[in-house]
Amino acid sequence: MSREQKLSPEEIVDSFTKEFSGKITDTKVERHKIGPSKLEMIHIWMTVDRSVYKDAVKHLMTIDEETHFAVGSGYDIEDRIEIINHFSIYFGKKGEEISINFKIPLPKSDPVMDSICDLIPGALISEQEKQEMLGIKVKNIPKDMRVFISDDFPEDMYPWRKDEMNADKMGRNLHEHDKIPAAKVPEKKEDEE
Amino acid sequence: MPAEATEKSTYKIPIGPIHPALKEPVMFEFEVDGERIVDADVYLGHVHRTIEWTGMRRNPVQVLYLAERICGICSYCHPMSFALAVERIAGIEVPERAEYLRVVQAELERICSHTLWAGVAAHEIGFDSVLFLTWQVREKALDLTEYLTGNRVTKAITQIGGVRRDITKDMVPKIEETMGFLKDNFGKLKKIFLDDKTFKMRSQNVGVLTKEDALKLCAVGPTGRASGVKKDVRIDQPYFAFSELDFDYVTPDVLTGEVNGDVYDRIIVRLLEVKQSIDLIEQCVDILSGMPEGDIVAEPKIAKLLNQLKKAEGDGIGRMEAPRGEVIHYVKMDGHEHPYSWKVRAPTYNNILPWIPMLKGEQIADIPIVAASTDPCMSCTNRVGIVQDGNRKMYSGEDLHELSVQKTRRLMQ
Amino acid sequence: MKFSMIPQVLSQMLKKPFTNKFPAKYIPSSVTGYLKDVQSGKAKMIPPVETPEGFRGKIQYDRDTCIGCKLCIKVCPTDAIEFVPETKKIRIYLSRCCFCSQCNDICPKDCLSMGDEFLLADTDKYSSDLIVE
Repeated sequence: MSREQKLSPEEIVDSFTKEFSGKITDTKVERHKIGPSKLEMIHIWMTVDRSVYKDAVKHLMTIDEETHFAVGSGYDIEDRIEIINHFSIYFGKKGEEISINFKIPLPKSDPVMDSICDLIPGALISEQEKQEMLGIKVKNIPKDMRVFISDDFPEDMYPWRKDEMNADKMGRNLHEHDKIPAAKVPEKKEDEE
Repeated sequence: MPAEATEKSTYKIPIGPIHPALKEPVMFEFEVDGERIVDADVYLGHVHRTIEWTGMRRNPVQVLYLAERICGICSYCHPMSFALAVERIAGIEVPERAEYLRVVQAELERICSHTLWAGVAAHEIGFDSVLFLTWQVREKALDLTEYLTGNRVTKAITQIGGVRRDITKDMVPKIEETMGFLKDNFGKLKKIFLDDKTFKMRSQNVGVLTKEDALKLCAVGPTGRASGVKKDVRIDQPYFAFSELDFDYVTPDVLTGEVNGDVYDRIIVRLLEVKQSIDLIEQCVDILSGMPEGDIVAEPKIAKLLNQLKKAEGDGIGRMEAPRGEVIHYVKMDGHEHPYSWKVRAPTYNNILPWIPMLKGEQIADIPIVAASTDPCMSCTNRVGIVQDGNRKMYSGEDLHELSVQKTRRLMQ
Repeated sequence: MKFSMIPQVLSQMLKKPFTNKFPAKYIPSSVTGYLKDVQSGKAKMIPPVETPEGFRGKIQYDRDTCIGCKLCIKVCPTDAIEFVPETKKIRIYLSRCCFCSQCNDICPKDCLSMGDEFLLADTDKYSSDLIVE
């Protein structure tokens, strides 16, 4: 399986569910129609258990050696943190690129996942960002340091979180101490008919 | 007494965070042996503005204007990618006339951005007359932008479901006049940049990025295409009306027949893309003049649009090809007025890791032109501290620029 | 060609410069003195480049047509519009406005429009020139 034989989206999903039975759930193939001629654009979404995440990326690289890692996003919901890593395959020919998104749920009590920097070195900055913004830990990351937040920001405040560990205390309303002249209000007439 | 044996070792130079030829302030640490760079390290995070945190507290129409101010030069691509993501979640269909209008604005922005870059690259080499000539050509493109949208830089022409302003029949003569002016001057610029001996001396075989490194480090945009990787979101996953138009990937072998991945190849890719953009705008304006008058936005009443977006649920992705590379936005909405989660990734962050293999083996005076060739954002001042035999010497931005200019003079003799 | 800029540079010496010399040909020694001279008529100021039609400059507010529906406040990205409950009209703070004109589009009575004034610098954020009401 390589670029010479391109698989259809359903075949890609089937190869994943056969290889990692039970650990890949909630698969979805979305087809959006775009442009005046209604060309089809394909997005594949999959929920991947964290124990097989690195093997799933290796399997993806057998489908296409030149896998492109775009970005990793994430949010926290109820009692878990979900990390979504966006990949894309089959670029190089008109209209054939497919976007593949892996959703990895991590429990808040133990938010640890594997790093893929030995397979795709370009994922380094994205993994460092998830560590400081959401409070997860990435095992075997080549360089463990903060990338976007300065080093004197408090340790257990995570800006993207919506629970008690969020960073709302650090936000300031810049207009609350302005001295604004009062509006012109016409005087109320005392004797109204 | 015998002299003590000394051993030769390398020095570490920090450069940044406010730095030459950079858009965002970035800090580097170079390990230097004489004039040659042995190793390099990158540190980021000096202009973090908490845009995603702010965006999660505003409704989608307000977020469009917040997204516009992420970057001054790709100020069209960020709100458009956000609008694409939200349209896919809510299932909003964009009318056909709006798709072509969106293409015209995107290509016009690409022309303005690439001509700005050409001037900055010439300035880093020391060739200031070319800087003034290129920016004079750019003024005509900016005048056209002001005429079509109301402002030169922050265009504010995006709306979820279409665009805000139309191109009517009386605007077409001005577009044709500007495109004619750009085409006439394009030949002049191409001769200066590609045939002039000064540019060739400073840019051939400097800052080479091989194809394997470009694939492993996920380089995007002209930086990746100059190394031979055919990645362009407009062709791979077409959006707007790009699926109807006739164009192809721009790699250096279109002009010279071979791919080296150096700074000269990046100049070739960007100049050919300007020519391609002028061609695309002309194709679109022809198609638009032939179409009947129609809607330019799916839902003109904005209060109704906000109510529709309040009920939308799901997650979506919007990808676009900015002048610098691939822009990707991820939005998650869950039935409230504010988005639940929003992630922005600008193309420069993918193009920073390739600096390390590009700079190994180069000289210090080549740092400005190699850094500028990947086209990060606007230039700022910089401070460089060099430790030599225990004495600290401070070089300012002007000094580093002087070093670069002096190297050109040396090579020209 | 070895030095391809030379014909361009030589021809530039005979042409008029491209820059519009606003406000004066040479920098005056005192800016406030120069502005006083212009107002009294002693000196002339070279005007800036003309703005096109549809330029988004200082906002203009038609107070009598406004019905106080507060839709413009819902849509403003920068919190620049304030509602005055006593008169049921609005106040716009230009020091916070980002000139996006989204409030123009949503207003049901069309009482907001963008003018073409853009020289708006001032020393006080909330001076009377910078509050539109």
